[in-house]
Amino acid sequence: MKPLETRLARLALRGDQRAFAEIVDMYKDKLYHLAYRMTGNRQEAEDVVQETFLRVYKNLDRYDENQKFSTWIYRIATNLCIDRLRKRKAIYSLDAESNEHEGLDGYAMLPSDDRTPESELLLSETQRLIHGAIATLPVKYKSIMILRYLQDMSLQEISDVLEMPVTTVKTRVHRGREFLRKKLEHKL
Amino acid sequence: MADMKCNVAVVLMHDHLDGDLAREEVIQLQQHLVQCPSCYARYESLERTDALVKALPIEKAPDYLSDKIMKSLPSPRRPAAWTSWVRRHPAVSAAAIFLVVMLSSFVSMWNQSQELSVSGPDLEHVIIEGKKVIVPAGQKVTGDLTVVNGDVQVLGDLDGNLTVIDGNLTPLASTAHIAGEIKTIDRAVDWFWYKVSSYFGTLAYGS
Repeated sequence: MKPLETRLARLALRGDQRAFAEIVDMYKDKLYHLAYRMTGNRQEAEDVVQETFLRVYKNLDRYDENQKFSTWIYRIATNLCIDRLRKRKAIYSLDAESNEHEGLDGYAMLPSDDRTPESELLLSETQRLIHGAIATLPVKYKSIMILRYLQDMSLQEISDVLEMPVTTVKTRVHRGREFLRKKLEHKL
Repeated sequence: MADMKCNVAVVLMHDHLDGDLAREEVIQLQQHLVQCPSCYARYESLERTDALVKALPIEKAPDYLSDKIMKSLPSPRRPAAWTSWVRRHPAVSAAAIFLVVMLSSFVSMWNQSQELSVSGPDLEHVIIEGKKVIVPAGQKVTGDLTVVNGDVQVLGDLDGNLTVIDGNLTPLASTAHIAGEIKTIDRAVDWFWYKVSSYFGTLAYGS
């Protein structure tokens, strides 16, 4: 018996819209959380999630059933986020004459997110600091730290999603953790 | 063994936080942390960082997002299913298209022919009065006679077949003589078969 997502993917490929709607419901929150932490912006997170599902839908016939469906969908979403961060960095580096923004991915320079919901206003200072620290992580550490901590993936799963060796993932988790520790150490 | 270097200890700390450290190594790390206050502080700091990052609240997608996504998808793959059916049944598809074309042409022909028409090789000896076609007594018509939308009365000789389509044939007079067959066609179905058989007759005899 194939896993539920694989069966739903097959049905969706045959034109069953309801099966695809179920896939959307299963993954939309996880992908939104991933994209929000990656981009730091709700509108962009929404765009990334929508684009991810569109790509999944168009490429259902290319889904390899030997790999987990979650691995495939996370790979698409993560790559879309990384693309956006790289583009953003490229745009800002054009008019950045000084080096003062080095190491940032443009998050700090992004216009403030005016869609902040009520609940966010009640966020503790601690959470704000952590969010800010994650936002300043260099891209190659950021995706790994988010998959590891906010999506609760094992090192092996992350290595499958990002198509890189487990040893590389491990090294980056260590460096990412050190980066966050230094950012947070004196503030908390 | 007790003299573990601090840089080695840091690697073990991370492995431990990854849940990736063998039992003996955990014991070695613990022994080092007891002896080395700076490494102990560092371990605590890393552990706290881990806990804090894990505790970040989950951001849920807005409620309207599912609908928005479903509406943004390209239209369903129905057309593909239809064309694949055609591809799988080429003969049936071709026959269906042929039938539609044939039927529509016959129907249009049926509708067109509301006027009287008389055809045959020898129309000189035939009298036409309004909607009535008469083969007069004492006259001899050679060849077939076909009348569409008209009544026919035969008083003389007809040396061939008589076909009456959508009309009446007045009962033959005693003087009448028809050498060939008499056919009366009233309905569309008969008209259809008449057309088909005459079409194939034309093909067969090349006339």
